Amino acid sequence: MTVTSSPDATIAVRSLWKVFGPKADTVVGTDLAELSRADLLAQTGCVAAVRDVSFDVAPGEVFVVMGLSGSGKSTLVRCLTRLIEPTSGSVLLDGEDIAQASPKRLRELRRTKFSMVFQHFGLLPHRRVIDNIAYSLEINGVGREARHARAREVIELVGLTGYDQHYPEQLSGGMQQRVGLARALAVDPEVMFLDEPFSALDPLIRRDMQAEVMRLHRDLGKTMVFITHDLAEAMKVGDRIAIMRDGAVVQVGTAEDLVARPVDDYVADFTRDIPRSHVLTLQAIARPVRGDDDLTGPRLPGTTIVRDAARAILDSQHPVQVVSGDDVVGVVTKDEVLRLISADDPA
Amino acid sequence: MSAPVLEEAPAPPAPRERWSLHRVFSSKASWVLVVLAVWIILGSILSGIHTLTLATAAQSPFTSWLTEVASAIRGNRTESVAFVYFFNPVRGGIEGFIEVIRSVIAVPGAGDVIPVIGWLGVIAIVGFVVFATSNWRTSLLCMALLFACGALGVWSDTMDTLAMTLGSVALSLAIGLPLGIWAGLSDRALAVMRPALDLAQILPTLVYLAPLALVFLIGVASATIATMVYSIPICVRLTSHAIRELRGSGALEAARSMGSTRWQMLRKVELPMAKRTIILGVNQTTLAALSFVVIAALIAAPGLGKPIVTALTIRNVGDGVVAGLAVVFLAIMLDRATTAAVVRSDTILSDEGRVRRRIALAVAAVAAVAAIILSRQVLWAAVFPPALVIGEPVGAAADAATEWFTSTFSWLTTGVAEFLTVWVLNPLESLLVNSPWWLTVVAISLIGLLIGGRVVGVVTVVLLTAIVVIGLWSDAMATFAQVLMATAFTMIVGVVLGVLAGRSAKVERALKPILDAGQTLPAFVYLVPVLALFGPTRFAAIVCGVFYAAPVVVRVVADGVRGVSSDMVESATAQGSSSWQIIRKVQLPASSKSLMLAVNQGLIFVLAVVVIGGLVGGGGLGYLVLVGQSKPELAGKGLAAGLAIVLLGVVLDRIAQSSARRRS
Repeated sequence: MTVTSSPDATIAVRSLWKVFGPKADTVVGTDLAELSRADLLAQTGCVAAVRDVSFDVAPGEVFVVMGLSGSGKSTLVRCLTRLIEPTSGSVLLDGEDIAQASPKRLRELRRTKFSMVFQHFGLLPHRRVIDNIAYSLEINGVGREARHARAREVIELVGLTGYDQHYPEQLSGGMQQRVGLARALAVDPEVMFLDEPFSALDPLIRRDMQAEVMRLHRDLGKTMVFITHDLAEAMKVGDRIAIMRDGAVVQVGTAEDLVARPVDDYVADFTRDIPRSHVLTLQAIARPVRGDDDLTGPRLPGTTIVRDAARAILDSQHPVQVVSGDDVVGVVTKDEVLRLISADDPA
Repeated sequence: MSAPVLEEAPAPPAPRERWSLHRVFSSKASWVLVVLAVWIILGSILSGIHTLTLATAAQSPFTSWLTEVASAIRGNRTESVAFVYFFNPVRGGIEGFIEVIRSVIAVPGAGDVIPVIGWLGVIAIVGFVVFATSNWRTSLLCMALLFACGALGVWSDTMDTLAMTLGSVALSLAIGLPLGIWAGLSDRALAVMRPALDLAQILPTLVYLAPLALVFLIGVASATIATMVYSIPICVRLTSHAIRELRGSGALEAARSMGSTRWQMLRKVELPMAKRTIILGVNQTTLAALSFVVIAALIAAPGLGKPIVTALTIRNVGDGVVAGLAVVFLAIMLDRATTAAVVRSDTILSDEGRVRRRIALAVAAVAAVAAIILSRQVLWAAVFPPALVIGEPVGAAADAATEWFTSTFSWLTTGVAEFLTVWVLNPLESLLVNSPWWLTVVAISLIGLLIGGRVVGVVTVVLLTAIVVIGLWSDAMATFAQVLMATAFTMIVGVVLGVLAGRSAKVERALKPILDAGQTLPAFVYLVPVLALFGPTRFAAIVCGVFYAAPVVVRVVADGVRGVSSDMVESATAQGSSSWQIIRKVQLPASSKSLMLAVNQGLIFVLAVVVIGGLVGGGGLGYLVLVGQSKPELAGKGLAAGLAIVLLGVVLDRIAQSSARRRS
């Protein structure tokens, strides 16, 4: 897998490994590293939870890491924040290697540069909402008045106004995770790591919270690394998605990349149930203009999602012209749309 | 829905050896039965040979050596460096600390008639402290219980016991909490402490007393130190558990991800989150200390234990009941006060509620101060008014009730006692005591080997041989017989009630107060009514053991039965099992680990009390410990008996534990 390395990436992960087991540090860099997970376990008793992972996250991007349970995604995000010590590799945050940071520097980074949201919220049960949110400011020596003022700001931001004096156990799951979000936002971090933040919530609440995160992202422009096992969620919130399997990243790309150009059967199988029309753009299904095409129909940008354009295409008497800038790059007719939609529903 | 391709399924692991009662009975039990049969046959043929019986006043080489050691220690108290620079200062310091507390509430100073604070003041202080840490209802209850102690006419003894308990608890917490936190945070620290903690769990209370009294003299200091030795491990264990159970909690990880230092983690996250369990640990520590302070009367600790010991030795039920009641009241008071504090620590108050509470606290504080001043100025508030004392009528009533009960139901009590003594205890004791010692050692070790494996078999041989070398074989086997019988009864009672309680919430609710009482009350106070009912016999000691151990066994079994997943029970029900089939084929086998744990706990608890039964005619090792306590020329024998009790306890614990561990 190749990684496009850009110098202005906020996060650059390079050759990250995490091996659990006896003498874990003797695995990376030897022939053992080439073994499959099962063979490695059989030969050394070690489990490679994260295998040679590299990727970049651009400033302001929502980067999703997606995989089934056991694929190593939770270990990966904990290696990025060093809640688990990586075995080897580097995690550059604005060019500084988190993996090499001293304990003191690591604490500084955690207190100011990045923050985490957890699947099971991880709220402190003995503290009120406001003091949960102010915790990281408190341990960084911010005075009571100042940290409460800041906490109230983020409480409003996540829509928890009026709940600042409650205890976590008095709140519903969705509201508890709002506290988790507020807590992560309180220090105004550059990067937020969200580890399956909505997996423990009911579907309806989950949808609300996904919308909430997308809104916060739009308003605040934080760079986010978002872990999930739910492909639909990944496609909804992610600018780009990395698919993990057995500790390694199989493919990184946009939702459309994964659906239209899966690198292997594993990814294809994964994305099979995703309605194509919800992901693909007009560009992907357009056919070249033929001589007999009637070019009087409406024009739509090539980046439009098929589903959003379907009404217009079906209503149009003439083929819809797909444009990139001012150039017509192809046309789409009812045929292409109907073929795509019928393929979505194999039953 | 197409399932994404999963990683290839790993080869299925070899089926794990699962343990079930059924399997044991089919394979091992037959061998155990063979060993038992051979033992019984050979034992009856060779009965009376090589029994190693030793008269009470006779010494074995080991015990006479220990007697010399004891008298050497006694002679060196003023000279040896260890005593002059370590033991004596420690004794002085602790005695000084406890005496300060006693002088405040229990003992009048020189030339005074009352302690610094009189009874009204003490009740007011207790009321205020309990109100501040929990709520007014508990506060009223505690004040009423203390008042009742006064009304029983044992105010000053009660205050002595309270002072000793509070002082010991303070010292125990000062040592136990930091150690417990350390053991909770560091695996290495726990590994270092674990052997001591494990040993402390199986040491019967009685064996602490003599060695400590030898070094620190009898009296307040020894009693306090013995109490600390007993209660600190409990505090360490529970505190460490409180910290450890937080491991893997999301809150800890989150706090770490926000850049907390180790100290911030401990102070702002771990301790507040562990507070509830830690307070429960304080509760257990306090109750353990109380029960020990009472028993420590055997080494001349002041307080309520003294009248109980006297009552037991001269069989004066009335006085024993009065002092025993006061102990019960104190136990309930300390238990309620500390558990209510747990609830308080969980309570969330509105702003308004907080203001109201602060006002109430201020009022209570003023009232308490007024009561203290009053108790120093006015006689009726200083000395408990004799007009209110009803101790004598209570004692007389208890005597009369005992008289009536024993004369009316003697056919029942003595009948049951005699029947079981003749048909169960005597044959069992005869097998253990009258068989040649080598036969018994081989038989028990083989059983240990069959149940627990090679290591346990070897340990059993070594420890039993050690008892032989000590020279107390015959007494140890007498105690062993009582322990086995009491454990068997305990298990019968415990499993029946435990299964009922585990299956029905109603039964559990009904049993809860009894179980709570059983776990709260110091073992010593059982002796009084049991003695009244059954007289000074071995059977009385056994009944005490059952009373003391059954609540624990019921709890463990009920937890185990309740822990069997409801899916399992539901599916068994859906397949048409009857209740009895579910109990026998699902719930008991699935909770077999709890059953083994229950046997283990039962044995240890029974042993602790059966040896105390030496005081009421139980004989055996416990009696020798007490004899050694009172007769210096037999001090070595008492110490050796304590050692033999420990060895016996370790044997029982190893066999019972390994049988649970090996197959789980």
